[in-house]
Amino acid sequence: MKVSDMRRNNRRRDNCIGLLVATALVACPLAASAQAELNLPILVPITGFLSLEGTSQRNGALLAIKNAPSSVKITAEVTDTGSSPEGAVTALERSLSRGKVSAVAASMLGTQMLAMLPVALENKVPLATVSGTADITEKNNPYVFRFFPGDAVAKGAHVRYVLEELKKKRVALVYQTTAYGQSGRKHIVELLKKAGIEPVMEEALDVAVKDMSAVIGKVQAARPDVIMLHLHGGPSALFIKQAGAAKVNLPIVAGSGMSQPTTVALMEPAELKGLCAETNAAPVAGGSPQMDKFLAQYRAEFKSEPDGFAVGQYDATSMIIDVVAKGAKTPEDIRKALSGGSFKGLAMTYKSDGKGNMAHSAVIICYDGKTRMPKIVKRYD
Amino acid sequence: MLLQILANALALGAAYALLALGFVLILNATGAVNFAHGDMVMAGGYVAIAMGSVLQLPGALLLPLVVAVMALLGFVFSWFAYFPLKNRPPVSVFISTIALGIIFQNSANAIYGAAPRKGPPLLSEGNFGMGGITIGAQALGIVVVAIVLIVAQHLLLNRSGIGRKLRATAQDREMAEAVGIRVNRMIALTFALGSALAGAAGLMLSNTFFITPTDGTNYVIKAYIAVTIGGWGSLSGAVCGALIIALFEVLFPSLPLLIPPLKIIAPWLFTQTASTILLYVGLLAIMFFRPQGLFGETVQRRV
Repeated sequence: MKVSDMRRNNRRRDNCIGLLVATALVACPLAASAQAELNLPILVPITGFLSLEGTSQRNGALLAIKNAPSSVKITAEVTDTGSSPEGAVTALERSLSRGKVSAVAASMLGTQMLAMLPVALENKVPLATVSGTADITEKNNPYVFRFFPGDAVAKGAHVRYVLEELKKKRVALVYQTTAYGQSGRKHIVELLKKAGIEPVMEEALDVAVKDMSAVIGKVQAARPDVIMLHLHGGPSALFIKQAGAAKVNLPIVAGSGMSQPTTVALMEPAELKGLCAETNAAPVAGGSPQMDKFLAQYRAEFKSEPDGFAVGQYDATSMIIDVVAKGAKTPEDIRKALSGGSFKGLAMTYKSDGKGNMAHSAVIICYDGKTRMPKIVKRYD
Repeated sequence: MLLQILANALALGAAYALLALGFVLILNATGAVNFAHGDMVMAGGYVAIAMGSVLQLPGALLLPLVVAVMALLGFVFSWFAYFPLKNRPPVSVFISTIALGIIFQNSANAIYGAAPRKGPPLLSEGNFGMGGITIGAQALGIVVVAIVLIVAQHLLLNRSGIGRKLRATAQDREMAEAVGIRVNRMIALTFALGSALAGAAGLMLSNTFFITPTDGTNYVIKAYIAVTIGGWGSLSGAVCGALIIALFEVLFPSLPLLIPPLKIIAPWLFTQTASTILLYVGLLAIMFFRPQGLFGETVQRRV
């Protein structure tokens, strides 16, 4: 997509959001007293450093609401949580104070989720998120449901691809200093250790670090045979670009940040050659009639490309709508249905592991250096 | 290796220097901190992206246009953020600049979206090989453009009538007014000049490091630290402070590559995280023991 198109599309996006919410409300005739009701606040980071991912979440949730059966009357107000934990808690408390909340499409930012968990527990309201931070489902909180592979799954795929498919053993690991980065790093190192491997080099980067020549120099000096990245989207693109300029000719297997079309758009196709990344789904690669339909609809509604977060939140919202359509009336009903049931979504079949981890599959995508279109090369279920 | 690292640090420091210079110019003229200065860098990046997509020109040719637009924006900014509050305590001005900065961030988010964007390169994105080191064309361009702009700014302030008026305004507004200088006009001009420098930095940084609506917060912190390290109000100090920050970000964590025993003695000390901590520890030390900044009075010279 051209830059000018993307800019124009971004301008239209906010209008689309309002239209979608309105459509969801208008689509439900007032006279239909038999309709099931669902009040689903969408509390996601639309501004701040995770606004890109938060916007994908919002779009996924809104699209699922648009596709909801007419038997479910949905109220869904979007609130920007920013990037602070208190912003998320305030948004949640405000939603709860406004009326009966059935469930919440909650921020994918781990620190915000951790802050919202006690509030959700106290008010007995389920939170459906695509946060990858491992800790959120380790707090024995029965009201959290993660529709994105947690680190145990995603990093499992990440490490298995490096070891089993690429057959590499000298791993350089670069990760983010955020909760997301540290959590992923912990899993990667543990999984490598189980395979008897210790990274030959590892270093953490703050999201504000722009010039990465120091860490790239250290990677080169350690003589790895593969680079594993666990960085957010923008920093991943910066690293790969600067590593290319420094003539680092090593395979790079990145985290899900490099599966986002907007991140990939920052780079020339040639700069992506040989790059692989783990993710829950690669909607732009299509793969099934349902995913193709989602892709076309997403592009038409939001004039942008969907990523794995959009698909995850779409599936999460669809499952909530499904359980409500099937008779779940209260937040507790929804929680029980999410805990005990399974749902075939676009990306995978979701089922709780007892802790709220619903997603147990991940894929590895790779770029051929000719286009920005990824190809799914390996699926781990 | 050392030359390569220094080249990277110099390019980063040059862009930070433009940022810090604009910051200190406004600081001196108004006596208040402009917390939206980082957002001016962000705005400069987006102006460059917008113009680049329309005009299809390289950054070097877009630079005068971006500088002009940003100067105009700085001028308008002063009428919203400074003049209505100039007789209030300085805290009012810096709160108004915070508010305008947030407005800028959210406007950029509404117009361009949250995704990182890439600005146009100055000339190209290729690399030059010189004596065993590889220097990016963009990095070299940043250094050259920054030197040209810093020299131009120096000549403007020191060799022109308007520069003398600007300096007089910065040194003593009441006295400047008493001798017939139109102080408000000079202050508005300073906002324009500072914002133009920030815009130039934004154009260059947006290609090398991309740009997002929230990047301004990070940049204004760099400017603030550069000015504190170099000497509050000192132009030369601001440039030196900016270079020191860049050395901490690029050179310090690279030291084990240059001196391998360091990797064994204290590998934890030369990480990117530790170098950030050390930079701020150094900043605190400067504030405690040399509050006038490293270059203090000897090089301090208000606008």
